[in-house]
Amino acid sequence: MAVSGFEGFEKRLELHFSGYDPLGLRRLSIDDLQQVLDAVQCSIVSAAGNHSFDAYVLSESSLFLYPHKIILKTCGTTQLLRSIPSLLRHAADLGLRLRSCRYSRGSFIFPAAQPFPHSSFSDEVLFLDARLPATLRFRKASIMPSDVISSHSWHVYSAAADVFSVLQPSSSTIEVCMTELDCSLARQFYRRKGDHRSGDDVGAEMTELTGIGAINPRALVCGFAFQPCGYSMNGLDRDRYSTIHVTPEDGHSYASFECIGGREVMDYLKKVVHVFRPGAVSVSVCMGGTGTGTDDDEERVWSAVVRALEPLGLSCRSRAAEDFPGAGTVTYQTFTAHRK
Amino acid sequence: MAEEGAVIACHTVDEWTQQLQQGNESKKLVVIDFTASWCAPCRMIAPIFAELARKFPGVLFLKVDVDELKSVAQDWAIEAMPTFVFLKEGTIVDKLVGAHKDDLPKKIAAHAQVRAAPHAC
Repeated sequence: MAVSGFEGFEKRLELHFSGYDPLGLRRLSIDDLQQVLDAVQCSIVSAAGNHSFDAYVLSESSLFLYPHKIILKTCGTTQLLRSIPSLLRHAADLGLRLRSCRYSRGSFIFPAAQPFPHSSFSDEVLFLDARLPATLRFRKASIMPSDVISSHSWHVYSAAADVFSVLQPSSSTIEVCMTELDCSLARQFYRRKGDHRSGDDVGAEMTELTGIGAINPRALVCGFAFQPCGYSMNGLDRDRYSTIHVTPEDGHSYASFECIGGREVMDYLKKVVHVFRPGAVSVSVCMGGTGTGTDDDEERVWSAVVRALEPLGLSCRSRAAEDFPGAGTVTYQTFTAHRK
Repeated sequence: MAEEGAVIACHTVDEWTQQLQQGNESKKLVVIDFTASWCAPCRMIAPIFAELARKFPGVLFLKVDVDELKSVAQDWAIEAMPTFVFLKEGTIVDKLVGAHKDDLPKKIAAHAQVRAAPHAC
């Protein structure tokens, strides 16, 4: 294993606002957006929007802008949390009021390479606590464990203005992290030498050849192939986003899948795991409700995820669930593949 | 009559039909930018589209606002913006959805028949 390589595991930030403007955050100019991204140290690669939201493929992951919700997900050594001050400033200028914040990430493969405040979860929590307004009174930070042996955990921080979740009860967000990708499948995400086509063209080809385009045939997929390897895509399907990011290098290979939706999300989960055939998978689901989800909800999600992954040769090693006031109930499960 | 090297915005269905017809008859490459006023990704690519119009005077560059010409956007099944449609003699030869700063110029150069401009710019 390399001493250090590209960090695939992303940091993810979700902010919810309230306001009267039906366009809300979508009014942000490209210059303002770029200013926010400069603080994070990433840039816009491509962008598309439909009637519900705007989706940006970034140099290090993705940005989704809804009128009253922003999701920013960045990998490598980006300083995601540094986006918060300027984001809040721009939102306030647009007359929007912050209602809730949820920050989540897995465990870094190369934690020592992360700059402050991502040097540790406690640094991240202190940073968030200091920069979020006092109106977000309900706060919680938790490291959800996997089994005792594994170094994989799911870190979640939430802050909300009230205990009632901003999420709709019928839809959930699923975040999937895959490591130890099948080598021959991961190789599909390398650019061929001498191929001078654009990153968009090669990305579109990767989308088709790998089967990613078939995960949700309804979605418009904007794929991008990085030099010399790596792939990112954003999917747009009505008001539902999806995103996949791939770091194919052997030794620290990683792929993530994330989307929002209803029951069909479990079908997507199956197809995504089929694309990468990973040795290890973690699945976190965040569902709406009052933030005091009943045990039934958690059981239902745990079972649905196991039903989706067990037939693919993945065994569930751990499961956990926690309520985050105003942000939803979060489940976390880890799986490993049966290998000969 | 718009000068060569500019993006022509179609504000009515009649204008649209007329421009398409002229484009098809002239056998020029026609590139249409389906855009929306509220769409930030569209604003991102607009200056590049305009610059390409100046650079490729032999190509017909059209712009359609999907709210202004709803029926046209529906006929062409536009779901996300910006969408660039490439036409030659009435046939769609390519399509690009999204603002792609590198891909758009490459596609235009690839599809355009490069002819020397009749006068120095």
